[in-house]
Amino acid sequence: MSSIIVCHACDLVQRRNALTTHARCARCHAELYRTTSASIDAAVALGCAAALLLVLSNLYPLVVLRLNGATRETTLVGAALGLYREGYGLIGALVLLTTVLIPSFQLASLLYVLLPLRRRRRAKRQNELFRTLTRLRPWAMPEVFLLGALVALVKLSAIAQVVPGVSLFAYVAFMLTLAGLTSITPTEQFWHWVEGTRA
Amino acid sequence: MTTVLLGRQVGLRVCSHCRNTVRAAGAARVRCPRCGAPIHVRKPHSVVTTGVLLAAAAVLYVPANLLPVMYTHTFFDDDSDTIMSGVVSLVNNGSWPLGLLVFVASICIPLLKLLTMAALLFSVATKSAIHPLQRSRLFRLVEFIGRWSMLDVYAISLLVALVQIRSLAFIHPGAGAIAFCAVVVLTMLAAESFDERLLWDHQPDE
Repeated sequence: MSSIIVCHACDLVQRRNALTTHARCARCHAELYRTTSASIDAAVALGCAAALLLVLSNLYPLVVLRLNGATRETTLVGAALGLYREGYGLIGALVLLTTVLIPSFQLASLLYVLLPLRRRRRAKRQNELFRTLTRLRPWAMPEVFLLGALVALVKLSAIAQVVPGVSLFAYVAFMLTLAGLTSITPTEQFWHWVEGTRA
Repeated sequence: MTTVLLGRQVGLRVCSHCRNTVRAAGAARVRCPRCGAPIHVRKPHSVVTTGVLLAAAAVLYVPANLLPVMYTHTFFDDDSDTIMSGVVSLVNNGSWPLGLLVFVASICIPLLKLLTMAALLFSVATKSAIHPLQRSRLFRLVEFIGRWSMLDVYAISLLVALVQIRSLAFIHPGAGAIAFCAVVVLTMLAAESFDERLLWDHQPDE
């Protein structure tokens, strides 16, 4: 690893302090790098938990609505399909991508590259996958979805009885584990693990 | 600071994916030895790409706010909601904190993003050297906050999926929702294609 580091946000050249786990640029205060003391095992465990919770949150209804004896319920995928059936497939696709598909891809590809790293091996196409994964991070929006769900439920509670389903709680737990996973696998940490396989 | 050394001046580049610092002369095409991504001195065509995406978002911001995002048909009446009237109805229902939330996420944030990114692009185009730190912070705020505008889209998707009760109540999405989604996605892409280093490129030599 080189001891010189260039800031990605303002191009300033500075010296890397080998002892710090976290550094900011002297000029623009952008985060230059951050490493954690977390082990690959911790990341794998959180990844598995998040994957399980994501599956769980798609098995049961998210919300049940009761109005004058009639009930309606929906799952996450159901919400996207509802938009598709109304002729708004584009928005449906965006909803499905940002709440289910991109997070699933993130989890699957992260586990795929981390599992061989535990045994000091590298997965095939590891670099491409990890690059895609980091690029897609801002497009996974479980926390935004939950806030949107809260707004929808409050609006509905004015006209009908609204019962949050098991999946909603599973999805809250999924959002928290995904946030935890993202915070213990900063980009720099991942490459530290990869560089460990050479030794 | 007495001497400010820039990567561009000394032939060092930083990988935009894994943030690895790499030695690369002049305009040579280089790939990152660590992650394999192409490394540019500056993101190619950053100003033009960002400008085009931003202009498209600004045009769509008008229908996103004027067209209904949602139609409600109930036993008693038919109603259409724009984003703003959705906020008003939340406030009238007594849940003003959520009304405020939707107002900030769906109306303020997209508008602020459009204005801020336009101002930043203008400052880059005019080679402005003033307050680079503040401009950089503004950009990071826009980059971080953009995704929260999707909130209303998710709320609409759940309402549409749930309120389909035969002969009692129906909710249909409206064309405004498509325009609104496009604004959110386009402004997010605009922030992604903008190269923050451009804000620092015209500093007088210290």
